[in-house]
Amino acid sequence: MRRSPIRALVIPGALVLLVVLVALAAPILPLADPVRQDVANRLAGPSAAHWLGQDEYGRDVLSRIIWGARVSLTVAALAAALAAVVGTLLGILGGYFRGLVELVTVRVAEIVLCFPPLLLALLVVTLLGPGAGTLVFSLAILFAPGFARVAYAETLSARALDYVTAQQALGARTRRILFLTLLPNIAPPLIVQFSLTVAAAMVLESGLSFLGLGVVPPSPSWGLMIRGARASMEQAPLLLFWPCLALTGTVLLLNLLCDRLRDALDPRGKAAGRPGFLGRLVALPPAPEPRQAPGLLTVDGLTLSVPGPQGPIEVVRDVGFTLAPGETLAIVGESGSGKTLTGLAVMGLLPAAVKPVAGSILFTARDGRVRDLLRLPEAEMRALRGRDLAMIFQDPSSSLNPLLRIGSQLAETLRAHGVRDGVRDRVVGLLRQVGLPDPERAADAYPHEISGGQRQRVMIAAAIANGPRLLLADEPTTALDVTVQAQILALLAELKCAEGGMGMAFVTHNLAVVGEIADRVLVMYAGEVVEEGPVADVFAAPRHPYTAALIASMPEGDAERLTAIPGAVPQPWAMPAGCRFAPRCTLAADACRATAPALSEVAPGRSSRCLRWEEVA
Amino acid sequence: MNAPQDALVRGEGITRAFHRRGGLFSRGTPMLALRGIDIAVNRGEAVGVVGESGCGKSTLGRVMLRLLPLTDGRVLFEGEDLATLPAARLRALRRRMQLVFQDPYGSLDPRRTVGAQIADGMVIHGLATGTEAADRVAALLRQVGLDPDHAKRLPHEFSGGQRQRIAVARALSTQPDFIVADEPVSALDVSIQAQVVNLLADLRAELGLALMFISHDLHVVRHLCDRVVVMYLGRVMEEGSAAEIFRAPAHPYTRALLAATPSLRHRGAAAAPLAGEVPSIARPPSGCVFRTRCAFAQPRCAEAVPTLEPLPGAGARRIACHRAAELP
Repeated sequence: MRRSPIRALVIPGALVLLVVLVALAAPILPLADPVRQDVANRLAGPSAAHWLGQDEYGRDVLSRIIWGARVSLTVAALAAALAAVVGTLLGILGGYFRGLVELVTVRVAEIVLCFPPLLLALLVVTLLGPGAGTLVFSLAILFAPGFARVAYAETLSARALDYVTAQQALGARTRRILFLTLLPNIAPPLIVQFSLTVAAAMVLESGLSFLGLGVVPPSPSWGLMIRGARASMEQAPLLLFWPCLALTGTVLLLNLLCDRLRDALDPRGKAAGRPGFLGRLVALPPAPEPRQAPGLLTVDGLTLSVPGPQGPIEVVRDVGFTLAPGETLAIVGESGSGKTLTGLAVMGLLPAAVKPVAGSILFTARDGRVRDLLRLPEAEMRALRGRDLAMIFQDPSSSLNPLLRIGSQLAETLRAHGVRDGVRDRVVGLLRQVGLPDPERAADAYPHEISGGQRQRVMIAAAIANGPRLLLADEPTTALDVTVQAQILALLAELKCAEGGMGMAFVTHNLAVVGEIADRVLVMYAGEVVEEGPVADVFAAPRHPYTAALIASMPEGDAERLTAIPGAVPQPWAMPAGCRFAPRCTLAADACRATAPALSEVAPGRSSRCLRWEEVA
Repeated sequence: MNAPQDALVRGEGITRAFHRRGGLFSRGTPMLALRGIDIAVNRGEAVGVVGESGCGKSTLGRVMLRLLPLTDGRVLFEGEDLATLPAARLRALRRRMQLVFQDPYGSLDPRRTVGAQIADGMVIHGLATGTEAADRVAALLRQVGLDPDHAKRLPHEFSGGQRQRIAVARALSTQPDFIVADEPVSALDVSIQAQVVNLLADLRAELGLALMFISHDLHVVRHLCDRVVVMYLGRVMEEGSAAEIFRAPAHPYTRALLAATPSLRHRGAAAAPLAGEVPSIARPPSGCVFRTRCAFAQPRCAEAVPTLEPLPGAGARRIACHRAAELP
C-alpha cells in the first residue's frame, strides 16, 4: 500500500533531476557561448549549428535557454530556501510560544501577504537596484509568509500532542523540543510547500526579468529572453516559444513532483470507496443450503477477507451464530477480533476493501420472507436498513449531521420509510421514549447543543424509529461515562421489553457490560468464534481458555494481582498455523499448535473452539 | 491536611481557571477546571484519582507536574514551590517526576526510534551517553518486558500495549520518584490492561515510586492504589483508603459511581442509574456541584459549598457532603 506513492515519485523526480543536471552541466556541455553575438545571422531559424535558432543579436537560443535555466533555477531555489528557513522559524516560534511572539512573527509575516506580490517585489527591487542577489532577497520576502503560515498551523496542532508534552515532562529545553521533536514532524507539508515555492519563484523571477527588474542583460534568463523575443515576435515567433516552453514545462514538472510528494508523505492512504453491492458480490460462491430453519438471524460460515501484499487475508473466518426474536446476543472480543466487521457485514456496510468470500446471513424480515443479506442487491438492502435492520454506532457525535436539527434528522429517518402523517408528533414521541428531557425543545436543537449521552439517546431514537426487527449496537456505550453508560444500558433493556420480538446484537469489548445486557454471548478472538453460550453459563464456567483468561483479567476480584494474558493478538497476516490462541494459552499442547480446532458443541446450546475444553477450569 | 508532613508532592488549594474565548474586547467567562483542591502524595504511595470526563482529573495531573500553570494555590515538591522555582531548577527537578499518557499512539514521536526516545531523558539530564545510555535503554526495555533489540524500531511497529510499556520505560529512564499516570490503560484491550497494571504495580514495589494514577475505572484503581480521591466537576467529593472506599463508599457520588460500574460479580444488582449528566463546567450548580444529580439533595445543598471534612468514625476518610452524618 505504501509502495505505490513512492513509485509514483520516480518519473517526475527523474525529470526534475534531468533539468537540474542539464542546467548544472551547462559549462561542460558543447554549447555555443550564450552571450557571443552574431548580428549577421540575427533571427535565423533552427540549423545544424544552432538547433533552436538564433535570437535578435544572433546568439544561440539553446545555449541561452540552458544557461538561463541555471540563473532561473538558482534564483528560485535560493529564494525558496531562504524563505523556507526564515518562514519556518517564524512559524514554529509563533506557534509554539503563542502570545506576544506569535504577534511579532506570524502576524507581521501575514502583513506581507496583504501586498500584491508583484508590487512588493517591484518596491524592493527599485530600492535595492536590479540583480540576481536582489531578486533572491525580494522573492524570499515574498514567499516567507507562506512558510510561516504552514509551519504555524502545523506547530499549533503538533504542540498539543502528547509526545511534545512528554518532552516537556522529561525536562527538555525548548530548543531541543523545537528542533528535535517538532520540526521533523511538521516537515512533510513544508517540503511540499518548498517545491511549490520553487515553481512560483521561477515564474516571478521571469516576470521581474521581463520587466527589466531582475537579471541584468546580457546574462541569459528566461524572462529576459521572452522580453527580447517580444520585440521581434512577428518575424520570429519561435523565439518566444522556446523560453515559454522551458518555463511552463519546468513549472508543471515541479507541480507534478509536488503532488506526488504530498501523496508519498501523507501516511493516510486514499479514501475508501463507499460500500456497494458490486463490492459485496465479488467472488462469493452460492449460498449453502440452510441447515436449520433460520430464526430472526442466522449467520453461517461468514468469511471476510481484505487484500494483502501476499494475497487475501481472512480477517473473519467461518463465523456463525443465530439470533432468535426478542433475544440479545453480545459479540465480545478485543481489537482485531473481527467483531465489528461481523456486525457491519450483517448491515451490508462493509468497507470497500473488505470482501465476503463465503457464508450466508439469513434474515427474516417483517414480511416473513427469509433473505440472504450477503447476496441481497443494494437497493433491497437499503429498503431493509433503517426499517427492519437498525444500527447504533460507537461515537454519537460523528453519527449525527451537525448542520441539521435533531428533529429533522429523525423525521428524515421516518419519511425515508414511508411515514407521511404526524411526523413531528412521532419524532417528539420517540425522543420522549428514549428519555430525553423536554423532547419538544430537543427536537429543535442542533446536535452540538446536547450532551454526548443525549446524542446517543437520539441515535437510539433514530434506530428504533421504524420498529426494527434487529438492532445492531456497535460499542454504543464505549465513548460514554460510566454513570451515563448505566443509563443507556437501562434504556436499551427497557426498549427491548417494549418492542416485542426485537432481536439485538450488542458488539462490545467489555465483558462486564455483556453481563448487564445480554442473554447469550459470542466470544471472538482473531477473527474466529471461540466460544458461544448463555451468558450466565459462560461466565460461571467458561469452556475456552481465552474466555477464562479474559474473565480472570477483569480488574474485579480481591486477588492482589491481576491475571494477564501474555503476548498480544496475532496480526491478521501472521496467524499461527494451529489454534490462533495457542501462543498465549497456558493449556496449549503440541496438538493445538498443529491443527486448527473446529467449533464443537460442548453442552446443549454451548460451543467452544478448543481441543482441551474439558480441562478449562 | 491529614497527610504527614513529609509528603513528596503536595498540592494546596489548587485552582485552575481557563477562559473561553470571548469577543474582541471581552475575556469571556472564566471556567474553573479545578477548585481549591488539596492533595498529597507520599513517598512510595499510590494515589488514585477517579472521576468522569470533565471532573478535572487530567488537568490535576498536569498541574501537579507543572505542565500547566495554576490560577491559585501551589504545588510543593519536597517542600519547594514549583511555581517560584527558576526555570533551570525546575528543568532539573523534572528528572524526578514523570508522566505516562493515556494514548499510547500519540505519546511517542512517530519519526524517532524507540531507543532514542527512551534515551531522551538520560541525554537531557546528562545521566548517561553513548554505550552507557544504550545499555540503560536495553535494561529498561527488559524491565518493562520487551526485547532489548526493539530499541532500533519505530513506534508504529508495536502494538498498543507494547507502546504503553515503551512509554513507561521512557518515564522510568530518569529514575523518577514520582509518576503521574493519566489513564494509562483506558485505551488498551482488557487482556493487555492487566499486563500494564501489573507492570506498574511491580515497578512501584521494586523502585518505591510514588504514583498518581488517574482513571475513570474504579476497579483498576482499587487494584493499584493505597488511597483514592474521587473528583466531580473540579472538586474533591471523597478521599480515603482504597479498600475502605470500596467496602463502604460514603459520598452519594462515589456510591453512584460504584453502582454504575458494570461488574461480572454483581450482575443485575445495579441500583437505578444516576439521572442526568455532568453539568457544563461553564455553568456549575451553586452550592454542592453534585446536588443536581444527587438523590439526597436538600435546599441547603444549593446554598453553601460543602467542605471536605473527616467522616465521623471512619479514620482518614474525608467527604464533602452537607448530609455526611445523616446519610443512610
